Amino acid sequence: MAMRIPLALFAVIMVAGVLLSLVLPEYHLRLLNLSVISAVAVIGLNFAFGYAGLISLGHAAFVGMGAYGLAILTTRYGWSPWSAMPVAVAATAVFAGLIGFPLLRLKGHYLALATLGLNVSFYIVASNWIALTGGTNGIARIPELHIAGRALSGEREFLWFGLLVLAAVAAVASILHVSRHGRAMIAVRDDEIAAEMTGIDATAVKIAAFVLSAICAAIAGCLFACHMRFIAPEDFSYAHSITYLAMLIVGGESSIAGAILGSVLLTFLPEWLRFLGPAYLVLFGILVLGILVFLPKGIVGLARFTPKPPKLAAPTPVPTPEAGS
Amino acid sequence: MNVLEARGISKRYGGLAALSDIDLKVGAGEFVAVIGPNGAGKSTLLNVLTGLVMPDDGQVLLDGRVVTRTATHQRIRAGLGRTFQQGRTFNRLTVLENVMTGAAIRRDLGEAALRRTAMAILEQMGLSAEADEAIGSLSYGRRRMVELSRALACGPRILLLDEPAAGLNSGEVDQLADRLSELRAKHGLAVVLIEHNMSMVMRLAERIMVLNFGCRIAEGAPSAIQADPAVLSAYLGEGYVHAGM
Repeated sequence: MAMRIPLALFAVIMVAGVLLSLVLPEYHLRLLNLSVISAVAVIGLNFAFGYAGLISLGHAAFVGMGAYGLAILTTRYGWSPWSAMPVAVAATAVFAGLIGFPLLRLKGHYLALATLGLNVSFYIVASNWIALTGGTNGIARIPELHIAGRALSGEREFLWFGLLVLAAVAAVASILHVSRHGRAMIAVRDDEIAAEMTGIDATAVKIAAFVLSAICAAIAGCLFACHMRFIAPEDFSYAHSITYLAMLIVGGESSIAGAILGSVLLTFLPEWLRFLGPAYLVLFGILVLGILVFLPKGIVGLARFTPKPPKLAAPTPVPTPEAGS
Repeated sequence: MNVLEARGISKRYGGLAALSDIDLKVGAGEFVAVIGPNGAGKSTLLNVLTGLVMPDDGQVLLDGRVVTRTATHQRIRAGLGRTFQQGRTFNRLTVLENVMTGAAIRRDLGEAALRRTAMAILEQMGLSAEADEAIGSLSYGRRRMVELSRALACGPRILLLDEPAAGLNSGEVDQLADRLSELRAKHGLAVVLIEHNMSMVMRLAERIMVLNFGCRIAEGAPSAIQADPAVLSAYLGEGYVHAGM
């Protein structure tokens, strides 16, 4: 029963994604790959911002840490991407936990500014620690992923793998959402003191949400590095953090479906508006603003039947004899 | 042994003494009311007891163990429970989910068991029909009952209630008083009640402490408090006659 929504989410992502992968032209497949990678990162941001209410403007830094971790281990030390990936993700998680401890004492705008500072620091380090990161030249020739001896070199093959990762991340996220841990995060966002008053360690919950969000970001970073096979500091600037936040809010915060829809929309929208030339930014801005004003719950607010924030899995009332204990 | 004890609690805010040398002892299953005019330091006392405010001086003991510097959530895990004057619920969760969040204090309970436990409490509190409602659709009084249910779901041995009857209509106040009596009878729950509703206080309390300007001006049985000249002049008003007397 409780697994119904995660499984449905997994199936919908796979089916819709694979169908799209069969009909779309190569260039759109590339955009879809970028959407999928962003969606993994934005589902992560949803843990921190959507559930626990931590405004993070430094999400791209964690994406960058995952990407650089994988790039450095593969190109400098000759690791395979498969073994580099868990190490890069784990290292990012540990870093997020360590930095989260002092950072999450801050609230609201202060936390937003501090995370923004973290992102700017990451950019400066990545640009200037030339011996390790290659500086602004970035790191090239990142090896491609191989599955069963076959390279995921085409956009379509990579997309299938990306969809699998996204579907798995989305399913895990939705399992967490309806668990005691998900409720604890939401409780902390709604009222931190009341949450403490139910025995919840608010600090621990916030750090956990922050680390979870960094783990998803690092997974997205690893995907990005393997997909582009070249990374540079500009790929992880604070502007990307703001884009991730916009994707979440436009799609619908606190919603996994929203995180995915927002990522796809904000990746494709600039391309659809390309015919406008430089004026596209104006329309882009107006469209995003329009969504925020008219759909405060994001695109998922449009359709009530979408698996918005998946509520309790079982809508059936609990049989009374059991409950009367 | 006392479930909860405060020894010589003092708290100053700048030049204002919010609490001066307050002692409070609550035995297992005992019902103690704290009354006094607004600004007397009643809520500050609860904040000190729950760890939201650190006292300048004095000690808080839970089951004889000093918890003066212990984090709030750990005191709750040790058997303390509290509701707030403003009624603080988790507004993005349903009624049932709110109570499940309280029940989740027991780490060994799975999702189904959490739901069962929460549902049983909602039924006891007369809220089971609203289990799947959003908090926003409830009246203020019902919302406060959800908060109380959530606190009960944590399985406290002592419950601190901050003006639970404020904003409730008279029917709801009676209902609340009935529930509190039941809970005490059934679970031996000790209660510290802050309340302005004197009929509720006089009906339930075994012992009353009266605060004024952060000082204890009287403590004793309800009948003694009602006759105490200091209490009458500071709070109840000269000529106060309890309706039930």
